Amino acid sequence: MTEVAARLDGILRYFGHVKALDGANLEIHSGEIHGILGENGAGKTTLLSILGGIIHPDAGLLEVGGSPVRLQSARAAWKMGIGLVHQHFTLVPGLSVLENLALGRRHTGHRWTLHLKEIRKEASQLGELTGLTVPFEASIEELGVGDRQRIEILKALLRKPQLLVLDEPTAALAPAEIDQLFRLLRTLAEEGRAVVLVAHKLDEILSIADRVTVLRQGRTVMTAVRADVDTAILTDAMVGSSRSEGEAPMTPARNALPALGQSSDGLAQKRESGNRSVAKLKGIDVYSPQGGLALQDVGLEVMSGEVIGVAGVEGNGQRELALVLSGRQQVASGKLEIPEHVGFIPQDRNREGLAADFDLTENVALALHRNPQFRSGPLLRWKLIGLHAAEIRSRFKVKSSGVRALARELSGGNQQRLVVGRELSRLPELLIAENPTRGLDFTATAFVRGELKKLAHDTAAGVVLISTDLDEILEVADRVFVILRGKLTPVPSTHDSREAVGAMMLGSRLEVH
Amino acid sequence: MRRFGQLAVAVLALLATGIIAAGSLWLGGYDPLVAGAAMFQGSFGSGTAILSVTMVRAVPLIVTGLAVALAFRAGVWNIGAEGQLYAGAIAAAWVGLSWGSAPGWFLTPAALAAALLAGAAWAAIPAFMKVRLGIGEVIPTILMNFVGIYLAAFVVHGPLQENRGVFPQTDPISDAARLSVLVEGTRLHAGFLIALLVGLILWAGLRWTHFGFQVRSVGASPDAARVSGMIESKRVLLVVFLSSGAIAGLAGGIEITGVTFALYEGLSPGWGYTAIAVALLAGLHPAWVVFTGLLFGGLEAGAGAMQREAGVPAAWVSAVEALVILFVLAGDQIRRRFGA
Repeated sequence: MTEVAARLDGILRYFGHVKALDGANLEIHSGEIHGILGENGAGKTTLLSILGGIIHPDAGLLEVGGSPVRLQSARAAWKMGIGLVHQHFTLVPGLSVLENLALGRRHTGHRWTLHLKEIRKEASQLGELTGLTVPFEASIEELGVGDRQRIEILKALLRKPQLLVLDEPTAALAPAEIDQLFRLLRTLAEEGRAVVLVAHKLDEILSIADRVTVLRQGRTVMTAVRADVDTAILTDAMVGSSRSEGEAPMTPARNALPALGQSSDGLAQKRESGNRSVAKLKGIDVYSPQGGLALQDVGLEVMSGEVIGVAGVEGNGQRELALVLSGRQQVASGKLEIPEHVGFIPQDRNREGLAADFDLTENVALALHRNPQFRSGPLLRWKLIGLHAAEIRSRFKVKSSGVRALARELSGGNQQRLVVGRELSRLPELLIAENPTRGLDFTATAFVRGELKKLAHDTAAGVVLISTDLDEILEVADRVFVILRGKLTPVPSTHDSREAVGAMMLGSRLEVH
Repeated sequence: MRRFGQLAVAVLALLATGIIAAGSLWLGGYDPLVAGAAMFQGSFGSGTAILSVTMVRAVPLIVTGLAVALAFRAGVWNIGAEGQLYAGAIAAAWVGLSWGSAPGWFLTPAALAAALLAGAAWAAIPAFMKVRLGIGEVIPTILMNFVGIYLAAFVVHGPLQENRGVFPQTDPISDAARLSVLVEGTRLHAGFLIALLVGLILWAGLRWTHFGFQVRSVGASPDAARVSGMIESKRVLLVVFLSSGAIAGLAGGIEITGVTFALYEGLSPGWGYTAIAVALLAGLHPAWVVFTGLLFGGLEAGAGAMQREAGVPAAWVSAVEALVILFVLAGDQIRRRFGA
């Protein structure tokens, strides 16, 4: 009855000595939306990449449409009708949106020539049909993450896949856009195509999926029909009943602030817990690299002991706001008062938070090497830094082979634990966190959010949380602002409902939907 | 693990180069065994070969290799060691000639200091273009090589030409300016110790110091270094670029005061370029540069013997050196792919 679109059986895959997949199974039916859940490092992305022909399994069987296949390349997967939308964007900067859509496409009858007009016609038809409207002439660099995500999906759909695989497509989208995407996926499934979807938010998967597969430590631990599962069952399956498997506990680490020579209690006392201003911005203008204003007349006062949440759709000036607040960008005009050293958790931990080829100790040193405690004359006190790194590693539960492990060997969640641990261990007076939980599983997410709150409330620091995740803002922040087209607007506490803030985030741009 | 991986790449690259080199000799009608034996004899086969030829040839390779390794560690692609070496050589020769009556304790250091300054000055132009104007350093440093090479040629044909006016070279510099010989009866001079000292300073500096860590950070991840808010990347790049130039200039100064005692056209057979192979084979690690520099010094020392004994053109060695670069780069990519 049900037709199997693709089946993966006993998939094994190593990266060096790390076992990413350890006999994972997955069966996808035509006409269904199949949700995949798992913690960071459970092997979700690896499994999807195997399906997309990008990674080759070391062992195991892959069947598409009932016959075993070997996918030698992404192109081979495309030819089998499998379309993969990556977690990390694969758009070519410098090319226009239309040229990106044309990448890898060949029109019948035109083997050697590029026919942008036809692709444009086709794409705009498909765009109208699906609601995925993108600016065809714009260059990729000018676009925010939301637009890029839409382009990726459109690019995949243009090739008319029978099996569409999406790796975390919702991370960069606003709530209304997620609804729209899910409606589109439902239509595709009703047409008889299969959709595989990874999302970190459990409720998203529960709201859309027909069936759910849970991965844990490279193995498939459960595949079930949506109606048979609930949050508790899935959570148990993801985390495992026994914690002895090296999983980090769900609760934030107690007393997770390794003190630089003093306890956090002492410091909290030293900093008066009252309403002290930690940072003050007045009339800040910042030009964007493309010209035009990225930030326009921005005013903000951060008080000690509070978490300020800045909500907004990607590309509305968040990046510039984060850099200005952390003292890493010059302003065109306005008044700026910030502490000398500001803790900063940048959005792109791979590129900006960590040096991939540095080990844990060196990455800790990256942010702390100016601290007088770690210096003696021109020399760095590597032993002491190593001890500090070991302390961060154990208190923030960074899973690694040791402090000499390279950052590139850590999973995304553990990289973020390292960055968060490093920044918090400085006990900053002001901490800026930019989408700090993007791409993290819920254990790590709960941990990071707990640490941000604790930093503000226990050590009387000011925390600014800049996030595209509205739920995160509403959960963590004491005061909420919305950033839209470079302007920062406070949300009155009487109006900070999900719907109200969501509407403000979108301005009037998408309210029509 | 990482150290082991890098070492394995270097050893395998040398092995692969050896196999291809032997094969090309065989195809060319030479006997690889005879050629190899002659090469070994001429480089490491006797005390004299080691002390007077190999080690002497290794000095400029080690010093320029260190210059390149330092720059590359910070992500500064300084291909201009050759030009910087010539700038240093010109400056050292000029000091050695014009202050000839000064005492040795002053004159030798002064000549070497002038070489350091001249090398830094030569690097300053592409450094300024990179840091201030955002122009990539590869092309400017290559072009500055030509300027340096021809400036030296001009100098020995014109202002600094020997008094006889016959050959395109300077008069010999005063005895006081010359580096002392380390081992009586050989040509091994104190420049070798200077090379070791520079290597030691770079090794310790990169590993232990605050600034050295900033240099490595900027090289390992420019974005992370910038966003850390702790590192003034531009300043680090500028200091590294100028230091790299200064060290390459020092190599020219050492050559003048330790070996040739005069400046002439074509002083360097391309040390500044071979330095790239020396640095890459050493994994950009200053301590290993000393060894790879000796190895390449041996290659060049053996090339002459090979030409005499087996009739293989010495230029063939340049091709072998280029092969080493290719194999190291390829091996490094493979190592990264397999995560070792």
